[in-house]
Amino acid sequence: MPVSGMLRRFRRSMVLLAVALLAIASVSVAAAQSGQPGGITDEAHKMHDLWIFTLIIALVVFLAVEGAIVYCLFAFRKKDDALPKQTHGSTIVEVIWTTIPVVIVVALFSYSFIVLRDVENHAAKEDLTVKVQGFQYQWGFTYDKSDLGTNTKPDATGEFTLLGTPADIPTLWIPVDEPVEFALSSNDVIHSFYVRDFLYKLDVIPGRDNRFVVTAREIGEFHAQCAELCGVDHALMRFTLKVVTRADFDKWVSEQKVTAPASVQKPQ
Amino acid sequence: MAAHGAVAGHKQQLSNGMLGFILFLASEVMFFGGLFAAYFIARADSPVWPPLLSPAQEAAGVELHLEFALPFIATCVLVLSSVTIQFGVMAVQRGDRSALIRWLIISIALGLSFLTAQMYDYSQLTFSSGDTIYGTTFYTLTGFHGAHVAGGIIFMMVILVRSMGGQFSASRHEAVEACSFYWHFVDVVWIALFATLYIVK
Amino acid sequence: MSSVAIPRPKSYERPVILDWLTTVDHKKLGILYLYTTMFFFAVGGVLALLVRTQLAVADNTFVNNDQYNQIFTMHASAMLFLFIIPVWAGFGNYIVPLQIGAMDMAFPRINALSFWLVPPAGLLMFSGFLFGGSADAGWTAYSPLARGTGTGMDLWIVAVLLLGISSTIGASNFLVTMFRMRAPGMTMFRMPIFCWTILVTAVLQLLATPVLAAALAMLFIDRNFGGAFFDPNGGGNVVLWQNIFWFYSHPAVYIMILPGMGIISEVLPVFSRKPLFGYKAFVFATMAIGGLGFSVWAHHMFTTGAVLKPWFGFMTFMIGVPTGVKIFNWLGTLWRGSITFEVPMLMALGFLSMFLIGGINGTFSAAEPDDFALHDTYFVVAHIHYVLFGGSVFAVFAGLYYWFPKIWGRRLNERLGQLQFALMFIGFNLTFFPMHLLGLDGMPRRIATYSNDLGWQALNTVATVGAFLIAVSMIPFIVAVVAAFMKPKDQPNDPWEANTLEWWTTSPPPVHNFDDVPEIHSERPLFDLRHGKNAGH
Ligand code: HEA
Ligand code: HEA
Ligand code: CUA
Ligand SMILES: [Cu+2]
Repeated sequence: MPVSGMLRRFRRSMVLLAVALLAIASVSVAAAQSGQPGGITDEAHKMHDLWIFTLIIALVVFLAVEGAIVYCLFAFRKKDDALPKQTHGSTIVEVIWTTIPVVIVVALFSYSFIVLRDVENHAAKEDLTVKVQGFQYQWGFTYDKSDLGTNTKPDATGEFTLLGTPADIPTLWIPVDEPVEFALSSNDVIHSFYVRDFLYKLDVIPGRDNRFVVTAREIGEFHAQCAELCGVDHALMRFTLKVVTRADFDKWVSEQKVTAPASVQKPQ
Repeated sequence: MAAHGAVAGHKQQLSNGMLGFILFLASEVMFFGGLFAAYFIARADSPVWPPLLSPAQEAAGVELHLEFALPFIATCVLVLSSVTIQFGVMAVQRGDRSALIRWLIISIALGLSFLTAQMYDYSQLTFSSGDTIYGTTFYTLTGFHGAHVAGGIIFMMVILVRSMGGQFSASRHEAVEACSFYWHFVDVVWIALFATLYIVK
Repeated sequence: MSSVAIPRPKSYERPVILDWLTTVDHKKLGILYLYTTMFFFAVGGVLALLVRTQLAVADNTFVNNDQYNQIFTMHASAMLFLFIIPVWAGFGNYIVPLQIGAMDMAFPRINALSFWLVPPAGLLMFSGFLFGGSADAGWTAYSPLARGTGTGMDLWIVAVLLLGISSTIGASNFLVTMFRMRAPGMTMFRMPIFCWTILVTAVLQLLATPVLAAALAMLFIDRNFGGAFFDPNGGGNVVLWQNIFWFYSHPAVYIMILPGMGIISEVLPVFSRKPLFGYKAFVFATMAIGGLGFSVWAHHMFTTGAVLKPWFGFMTFMIGVPTGVKIFNWLGTLWRGSITFEVPMLMALGFLSMFLIGGINGTFSAAEPDDFALHDTYFVVAHIHYVLFGGSVFAVFAGLYYWFPKIWGRRLNERLGQLQFALMFIGFNLTFFPMHLLGLDGMPRRIATYSNDLGWQALNTVATVGAFLIAVSMIPFIVAVVAAFMKPKDQPNDPWEANTLEWWTTSPPPVHNFDDVPEIHSERPLFDLRHGKNAGH
C-alpha cells in the first residue's frame, strides 16, 4: 500500500490509542483521590495508606511502560525500506529490567506484610464481641448483654439477636472508638461479611471460626452486604452498619429484650 | 509419522507412542495426587481419626474401621502380578511369545482375584461412602484405583488376544511394555493407598 | 538452495462433509477448533450482553436473580472452557506442525478425539437450560453452594471433565509433536516462540488439569453419592474445594494467556522487521511463569483466613517479574524497529497496552491488605477482563488476522480490520475501566441487582454501553470474513515477509504441508533465506 496512506491510517489509529491511554491514565489519577473511600476504622486507615502507595507505584510503572510503547510507535515507524539493525538481545538490559521489578515487588511485599501484621489483631477478652451469623439470605447479629465491652459494667445477662430479612434489612450497631470483635459463623453455605468502609471483608465459612477486630472512628450509617456468591438472593444480603457513641449504644442495648438462644438458629 | 521423526534425525530409544503414554501416566499421577491431597487435608484437620459419628449413624450400626488381613493378602497378590507381567515382558524380549501368553494369563488372573478380594472387602465393611469424610475418602480412593485395575486388566486382555493372534516379537513389543508400565503404575498407587489407609495411624 | 525431501502420505478422496467429520488432518482439525470456539465466543458474548443489560440500571428486573446467576456462570464457563482454552488448541493444531516443519501432529487420531470432545461437552454444559436451569454457582463452583444446586450443575461437572480430558490428551500430543517431529536443523532453541508457549501451556495442562478432574470427581460424589468431602457436618472441609480448584485454576489462567503471548511474539517481530528481543530470556520467562503459577493459587483465598497469606502474596508478586521481562522484551523488539501497522500489529499493540493494565491491577490483589477490600468486587472483574479480553482476546484476533492468509488463502480487509480494532479498543475500555472504580466503591461481583441509592448506576450504564460497542465491533469482523470468503484464494506463500516455516509452504498448505523444508540456521529460517543467513547478526 502507498506509504502516505499507511501513515494516515497509522496516525488515525495512533491518535485513538494515545487518547484512550491518556484518558485511562488521568482517570486512574482521579481514582487516587476518589477511587477508594478512606475507611472508618484504624485498620482501614492503614490499609488505605497501603492502597495509595500501591496505586502510585502502579501508576508509575504503567505510565513508564505505556509511555515507552506509545513512544516506539511514533519514533520507530517505518520510514524507508532499509532493514533495521537486527539486535537479538542484551544480557545487561535483561538483568536490569529483571532486577528493577524485583526491587519494586520486594518493596511492595514488605510494606503490605507490615500492614497485614498491623490490621489482623486479636480481641482482648474484655472487648465487645458481636456474633454474626450469615444464612441464605440474610444476617443475624447476636449480642451478649453480659459482654458489652470495656467501658461499661455488665448491667444484665442473656443474649439478644437481630434477625434480618431481605424485606427489612437489619442494622448492626457498634460503639465508636472501641475495639469490636466480629465472630462469624454459617450453617449453610459460604458468605462473606463485607463492610465497604472497613475496606475489609472476611468469609463466613461453615465449620470455621473466623473472627476479626476493628476500632471504628466515625459515627454514622454505612452500607454493607454479603460478598460471596451464596445462591439466588445473594444480592439481597444487605445490612446497615450503625456506628454510635457509647451512650447511644448503651441506651439502644437497654431497649433490646433478651431472646431465647433458640432464635439464633437459622430460620427455616 | 515416526518416519518423519527419523528424518528429523533424532536418535531415540523411546518411540513417540511410548513417550506420549508416559506423559499420560504423569497426568494420572497428578489425578491421584489430587485425591490423596484431599485425604490428607481432611485427616489433618479432623480432631480425631476416624472422625466421630452422628447419633443417627451410631444407631444405624456404622463402624469406621477396616480389616487388615484380606487387603494385605490382596496387596501381595497385586505386587506378585507386577512381577509376573514383568516376566512376560522379558519373555517377549527373548522373542518367546508362548511364555508371554502364559505370564499374561497369570497376571490377568491375579488382577481379577485382587478385584474380587476388594469387592468382597467392600461387602464386609460396616460403613458407606456417606459415613463421614472417612467413608467418602476411603471409597473414592479405593474405587478410582479399582477402576484403574479393571482398566489395566482390559489392557492386558487386549495384549493377550493380540499375542495369541501372533503379534509381538523380540524387536516389536512396545504395547506389551506400555501395558506393563501401566500395570506397575496401578500397583505403585495401590501400595501408597494401602500404606495411607491401612498402616499410617 | 538445498532442501530435504519429506515422505508424502497418499491422499485419497472422500465426500466433503464426511471428510470434515472424519478428518485427522491437523489443519482441518485446527479450523474446526477455530469455528467451534469462535461460536462459543459469540454465545458467551451474548450472555455477557444479557448481564450488562440487567446491570445497566439499578434495581433492574430484566432477568430474575436465579436466571442472573445462571447467565454469568455460563458466560464465564463458555468463555473460559469453551472459547479461550480450546481456541489455543485450534491455533496450536494448525500452526505448530507447520512452524516446526512437520507433516502432522504426532497422534492424528488422538488429535481428532481431543477436538470431538469439545462440541458435545459444550452442548452438555448448555443443555442445563433444558433441565430446570444451568449451573449457577459461578465458574468457580464453590462448595457447599455447588453441592446443593440443580441438575445443571451435574451436567456442568461432566462437561468440564470431558473438556479436561480433551486438553490433557491434546497436551501430550503437542508435547510429543514438538519433542519428536521437528524438521532437520530445528533445535529446541530454534523453535518459534509460539511453539514454546504452546509447549509450556501443554505442560501446565498435563499437570494441572487432572487435579481439577479430581476435584470435580469429589464434587460429583458429594452431590450424587452422599459424599462428605465439602460437608463440615461429615468432617469434610469447605475450603478444600477452593484449594484444589485454584491449584488447577491459577495455572489455568496462564494456560489462557501464554499462547496469546506466543502469537504476540510472532506478530511484533514481523511488523517491526526485527527479531524478538531476548529470545532465550523470553523462553525462560515463560517457563518461570509456568513454574511460579503452581505456587500462588491461594491468592484467590486471602479472605478465607485459611491460608498462609505472606507466602502466597510474595509468590504472587514475584510472577510480575518474569511477565515484566516479557513485556520489556516486546518493547525491545519495537525499539529501533521499522514498524508498520497492519491489523495483526494493531491487535498485538492492543494486547501489549491492555494486558499491561490487567497485569498491574492483578498485582494490587497480591497485597493481601489491598485484596481484603478488592476481593469479590468489580475491581477483580476489571482485572479478569483486562487480562482475558485486553490480553487473550486481542491476541486471538491478532492471530486470526495474521494467519488468515495462510489458513484460508485470502486476506481480511485492512480498513474493516482497523474499524474493528478501533471500536473494540474503545468499547473494551468503556466497558471494563469503570469496573475498577465500581469495585473500589464497594460494588460486589455476582450480584443481580443493586439499590439506586449506592450511586453505582452511572458507571454501570457506561459499562453497558461499552459492552454493546464491543458487540458492534464484531460486525466489521464478520463482514470482513464473509467478504474474504467471496474472493478467490490469492495469497502468496509469505504475504507478510514473515520469519517462520509456516510461511514457506503454499497458502493454504497442501495436505502433507511441505514438499520440502529449507535448511534451518536460526529461529527465523525465512528471514535467513531473504537476507542471507548472516544478515540476521
Ligand atoms: C489470562 C488470565 C489471567 C492472567 C494472565 C492473570 C495474571 C495475574 N493475576 Fe489474575 N485472575 C484471573 C485471570 C488472570 N490473571 C481471573 C480469571 C481471576 C478471577 C477468578 C475468579 O475469582 O473468578 C483472577 C484473579 C486474580 C486474583 C484474585 C483476586 C481476588 O479474587 O481477590 C489475584 C490476586 O492476587 C490475581 C493476581 C494476578 C497476578 C499477580 C497476575 C500476574 O501474572 C500479572 C503479571 C503482569 C504484570 C505485573 C504486568 C507486567 C509487568 C511489568 C510491567 C513489570 C513491572 C511490574 C511490577 C513490578 C508490578 N488474579
Ligand atoms: C475470555 C474470557 C472472558 C471474556 C472474553 C469476557 C467478555 C465479557 N465479559 Fe466477562 N467474565 C469472565 C470472562 C470473560 N468475559 C469471567 C471468568 C467472569 C467471572 C464469572 C464469575 O464470576 O463466575 C466474567 C464475569 C463478567 C461480569 C461480572 C458478572 C458478575 O460478577 O455479576 C461481567 C459484567 O459486566 C462481564 C461482562 C463481559 C462483557 C461485557 C464481555 C464482552 O467483552 C463480550 C463481548 C463479546 C461479544 C458481544 C460477542 C461477540 C459477538 C459476536 C461474535 C457476534 C454475535 C453477537 C452480536 C453481534 C451481539 N463478565
Ligand atoms: Cu450470602 Cu452472598
Ligand atoms: Cu490466580
